[in-house]
Amino acid sequence: MEIRLKNLTKEFPGDPKKNIPDTVAVDNLTVTIPDGELVGLLGPSGCGKSTTLYMIAGLKNPTSGEIWFGDQDVTNLTPEKRGIGLVFQNYALYPHMTVYKNVAFPLPNIRVEKPRFYRSGEPVLDENGNQVYSPRKLTKAEIDALVRSTAKLVQIEEYLDRKPSQLSGGQQQRVAIARALVKKPRVLLLDEPLSNLDARLRIQTREEIRRIQKETGITTVFVTHDQEEAMSICDKIVVMKLGVQQQIGAPQEVYNDPHNLFVATFLGTPPINVFKGRMETDGVYIGSDKVLENTRGYKPGPVYVGIRPEGFIFGGDRSEFGMRVENVTVMGRDILLNASNPACTKPLIKAELSSEIKMEVGDVRCGIRPDKIYVFDGETEERLYL
Amino acid sequence: MQSKNNWKAWLYLAPVLILLSVFTFYPLINTIGISFLKNYDYMTQTSDGFTFENYAIVLGLQPYRYMPIPDEVTGELVQTPMYITDVVKFAIPNTAIITFVTVPISILIALAMAICLNSITSLRKVFQTIFFLPYVTNGIAVGMVFSVIFAGNSGIFNAIFGIPEPNYWINVSADWGHGMFALCFYIIWKSLPYKVLIFLSGLQNIDNQYYDAAKMDSAPKMRVISKITIPLLSPQVLYITITSFIGAFKEYDSIVGLFGTAPQTSPSRPNNMLTIVYYVYNTIGDNRVHYGSAAAVLLFVVILVFTVVEMQVSKKRVHY
Repeated sequence: MEIRLKNLTKEFPGDPKKNIPDTVAVDNLTVTIPDGELVGLLGPSGCGKSTTLYMIAGLKNPTSGEIWFGDQDVTNLTPEKRGIGLVFQNYALYPHMTVYKNVAFPLPNIRVEKPRFYRSGEPVLDENGNQVYSPRKLTKAEIDALVRSTAKLVQIEEYLDRKPSQLSGGQQQRVAIARALVKKPRVLLLDEPLSNLDARLRIQTREEIRRIQKETGITTVFVTHDQEEAMSICDKIVVMKLGVQQQIGAPQEVYNDPHNLFVATFLGTPPINVFKGRMETDGVYIGSDKVLENTRGYKPGPVYVGIRPEGFIFGGDRSEFGMRVENVTVMGRDILLNASNPACTKPLIKAELSSEIKMEVGDVRCGIRPDKIYVFDGETEERLYL
Repeated sequence: MQSKNNWKAWLYLAPVLILLSVFTFYPLINTIGISFLKNYDYMTQTSDGFTFENYAIVLGLQPYRYMPIPDEVTGELVQTPMYITDVVKFAIPNTAIITFVTVPISILIALAMAICLNSITSLRKVFQTIFFLPYVTNGIAVGMVFSVIFAGNSGIFNAIFGIPEPNYWINVSADWGHGMFALCFYIIWKSLPYKVLIFLSGLQNIDNQYYDAAKMDSAPKMRVISKITIPLLSPQVLYITITSFIGAFKEYDSIVGLFGTAPQTSPSRPNNMLTIVYYVYNTIGDNRVHYGSAAAVLLFVVILVFTVVEMQVSKKRVHY
């Protein structure tokens, strides 16, 4: 099921008496989430990503804009009519029910279509000659089969008789996913699904989510503030900041081609190194080092220059950029370099390079890979392509 | 360190311990003691020694006195044993009826009211205050208001429900059934505010996410209430059930409030609104404290058994 958000806006009214201004949580968001893909809404806290998710779910009503599932406008549909599975941040498993009952909970509410027949065995037809269906509840056996097959999918079969409190965080997470999936929803929504798990479980669970999503082929939207999480499992990421969408694309695409400074700094570990630089008529300068040519005739002025940690070249013939190496950490395959340069917005520059290169503390000059350096306007922070 | 400061702990506890000893422990032990004394005299503090007779008499297992009644055939006066005391005839059945009628009904009504109150957003505080007002109103005053509502032949109750006259509830010629209906009505009304308050606070502690989750699963309202709200409210339901059972077993002031100084609907039906605690209270006045003590101890045992049973049931049904 393709999800399309058209100019979606959510405002939370403030209180003029207490001098609280209106808050725009989501501002004019237009996104298309393709059928069967796993899409991550990524951004720092308070950027409106959870609000967006809850608007898709129907638990929050948008102030304006439209939400489409395929060719159906669901903007004014109540959550129960949207056919959505939602996994809450802290799972919201019913504490008094066993895992089995938790997973089975949505099923008695479902009606499936049953063809109607006359007592003679002839099918009931309407005036257009179409078979008439009437809704019916699922039988106990059908419910049991669904619960067990879903439990198998998320690998919680051995815990079906336990209460949620007797499960670990990762197991609870899987129960929550099972409860969301058991009714075969059109869309699966996950709100910060990994935030309550420890580091090891997080990596394991995100692979699990990826596997379940691929196996079921269900369109999935998940919200996260962790860029690594989003980059590692998403088909597509939507980077948001203060309710405004910054960039949409495949993770690697967004990483390699950030449209603005925010996106560049938000993606990547260690984060991108940002320098205050100058655009001159002949090129881009950091301090007195000319790092790029001004090939497109941009007007002179202040700019930000971002260089990815893996973008520094040592030991080649290029030496356009100078910095002072403060310390060198050898981490097996890689070397992590902490260096300084007065133009850097942070105290230390982080650089990653292959351990084959010998590095020593002190002043050094290096080259910069042209695909790992980005220039942003000093005021708008928008990307200047060179 | 621990033993050195022990006396300090006892010092801090002393005020409570003294008060509890004087007003709770001593009376409790003394009551149990008196309940086993034969013909105990309250004034002179004398008795004819140890006996189980008080219990047997209160429960109607042993005659409380012999009455000369003319024999049907010979007409001779025969000393006939009298078994059925007012305790057996009125106090025990009345107490049982009050308990098993008012407690479940008031819990169900309070639960429904709390769920309704919790689901409205505007004016909730106002309604909460209105619903809580009866709790802070003096019980006797409320009783007087109710005795007006159910009064005579022109009471408001008859008028509101258009009940044809003559229909007396609590006085003149009112019978046991009418009196008991009015009494239960009054007790249920009076016990609602506290229950609603407890249930409301419990409801407000239930995480909204459970309701959101149920909404996502398109659960109908009644299913949400029965499968999510009530199980998650079970600690409050248990607390209310236990305290209301104890309270109902000890019902006394409602009878005073509604019927005045005598526990009866009319003078021609003496003691027909008697409860166990009312009986216990009456025995103090007529110097029959040993019977009262026996009744009090029996009531204590019944309440204890009930509470233990409720706690056992709750182990399976209550989800903390």
